[in-house]
Amino acid sequence: MTLQRRDFFKIAAAGSAVLVAGKATASTESTSADFSDNFGVLVDTVACIGCRKCEWACNDQNHLPTQELKAFEDKSVFARHRRPDKSAYTVVNQYPDPDEPDKKFAIKVQCMHCNAPACASACIVGALEKQKEGPVTYDAWKCIGCRYCMVACPFQIPAYEYDNALDPVVRKCTFCYERITSEGKKPACVAICPNEALTFAKRGELIQLARERILAQPDKYEHHIYGEHEIGGTGWMYLAGAPFTTTELPTLTSEPIPPRTEKIQHAVFKGFVPPVALYGLLALGMYTFNERKKKVAREEDRHES
Amino acid sequence: MRTDRVLYITTLSIALVLLAALPLMAAPTPSNQPTMPNCLDCHTCKNPTPEDMCLKPCPTLQAAHNTRKAKHGLSEAPDTMRLDEIADLYQPVDFNHKLHAGMAQMGNNCGTCHHFSPEGKIPPCKECHMPSGEETNLRQPGLKGAYHRQCLGCHREWSHDTKCVVCHLPTEGKKLAKGVDKTDIMGISHPKTEAPKTKVYTTPYKQGPIVTFHHDEHVDLFGLRCVDCHQKENCSYCHDLAKTVSSRKSMKEVHAVCSENCHATDNCAKCHGMSEKPAFVHAVTGWPLNRFHERLGCRSCHPTGKKIAKLNNECTSCHQNWKPGAFRHAVVGLTLDDTHLELDCESCHIDRKFGARPTCDSCHDDQRDFKKVPPGQYSSR
Repeated sequence: MTLQRRDFFKIAAAGSAVLVAGKATASTESTSADFSDNFGVLVDTVACIGCRKCEWACNDQNHLPTQELKAFEDKSVFARHRRPDKSAYTVVNQYPDPDEPDKKFAIKVQCMHCNAPACASACIVGALEKQKEGPVTYDAWKCIGCRYCMVACPFQIPAYEYDNALDPVVRKCTFCYERITSEGKKPACVAICPNEALTFAKRGELIQLARERILAQPDKYEHHIYGEHEIGGTGWMYLAGAPFTTTELPTLTSEPIPPRTEKIQHAVFKGFVPPVALYGLLALGMYTFNERKKKVAREEDRHES
Repeated sequence: MRTDRVLYITTLSIALVLLAALPLMAAPTPSNQPTMPNCLDCHTCKNPTPEDMCLKPCPTLQAAHNTRKAKHGLSEAPDTMRLDEIADLYQPVDFNHKLHAGMAQMGNNCGTCHHFSPEGKIPPCKECHMPSGEETNLRQPGLKGAYHRQCLGCHREWSHDTKCVVCHLPTEGKKLAKGVDKTDIMGISHPKTEAPKTKVYTTPYKQGPIVTFHHDEHVDLFGLRCVDCHQKENCSYCHDLAKTVSSRKSMKEVHAVCSENCHATDNCAKCHGMSEKPAFVHAVTGWPLNRFHERLGCRSCHPTGKKIAKLNNECTSCHQNWKPGAFRHAVVGLTLDDTHLELDCESCHIDRKFGARPTCDSCHDDQRDFKKVPPGQYSSR
């Protein structure tokens, strides 16, 4: 019985070490890569009119429960700040312009498709994956429902089907992965945007385009492309006419999240030395204990005899 | 032989350098140069080379260069247009072009919307802007984006409403007013508005915060048209339904409206004061207007230029044919007989003060009054 149990621990330890080592190499590859060829979207909130057509198009594309197109003209939803949830991968929120509180600007929120996604790093089964084309995709089949991704995401994007007791999955923007890769189309939200506030292109081109827009109208735009450097860069980037601190987009450093956590994790399991040392120590302890026990037994025998 | 060759080449190079420098020396001062179009209007990169011109697909180079020269009359403009190229989710838009073309006179004329309007026919939007999905240029909106941006750029500021139904509904064409000055916006298509009479502005200028602007005076007396002053106007200044947008003109721009062609800005106190200023009375110029001049607009006497020049107070500087013998005195309502016609003007109009009441005393000492008995009729009595 004792032997079998010991065997299980050995296998488990070896298995997890292999897993961690495998993930470590994967994440170093993605952070060092040049992301300028990845697909991205530039959200120009100065051009956004807050029409919410993107919300409808997203629901329609992803077969989410939705109302008819006209119902999205209802602006009363702007009374509170909504978050993407299990039945809406993207939402548009409205903020008063700090310079002129009577003027409003709208901002679309969805998964940012980070260059170094914290959700994918946190996922212990690899259900979330950064694709080579740019999108961060989710595989419900692999998902075990631990919801680590929800904790890890700095933008608090992944949502969970809490009301589904039997087969709950994580829901988030897919970047219309199939649509943009195999079908060669724009994402549904970008395609419907009447004012072309959303621009779909390669990330490198978008950064260039965003810089040109700021340069052309320096008074109109904040001199900041949100997502160019934030947490190592994101696939979706924003231009705004007011400081980003007035929006729900969090203020973040340019340091990607995964390397920090992975460094701590990997240090613990580095070269499998710490676990071996731990088990060695335990073995030594058990050996000494057994030796002591045998010695005591021998002495007792001697006394008895 | 070799020296000859060296000499030849040297002479040739000097001649070439001189030739190249010639136009430079003759070049006019930069202020006289016509303003060049922005390079980025046509090129996608900052430093185009002959090998890589990085030209935008549309407009053509020529079109862009001519944009600033081209002038298009209102009469060329279509009345209404149906925008239905991309109608799929919503109904087509009936766009009242004439109304907008008229209003654009207070902005940047046709260029307000037609950012590339070469000489000749103005190209339709779809000539450059591709339908959605067929766009090739990231820096150029597709047709859908171009249409929406063009309209919403202004309309979202005014109505604070971006509902699709604002435009996407069949609209009834509004009939234009007829028989009016077609060069002025108020006549052609703008509904009659109540022009302000007097506007009093409080400015941050401490030595004279109050500026009184007599709007009626400028329209009625000076004969200015709306577009004479209301140029490069921000539409939302009038059309903002929520009245949140100010004209947002800088101090320089505000002053330019008055000073550009009309008023000198050397004396602040001319406009700025501690209290409201009365309307203009011609008497302040030292020339009170008589009953004839009072009826005239400023332009009748001060016709040249926008700036009103001070006139000589000699009648003949305007009435050039008013000379003794040639002046038909009857126009003032008093017919002179032959005897009086031969007199010099000063005989009755002492010191040539034509505004003052003339006197008969210098010749006649019986206190006769030309109003009761006109000159030349005493003897016949």
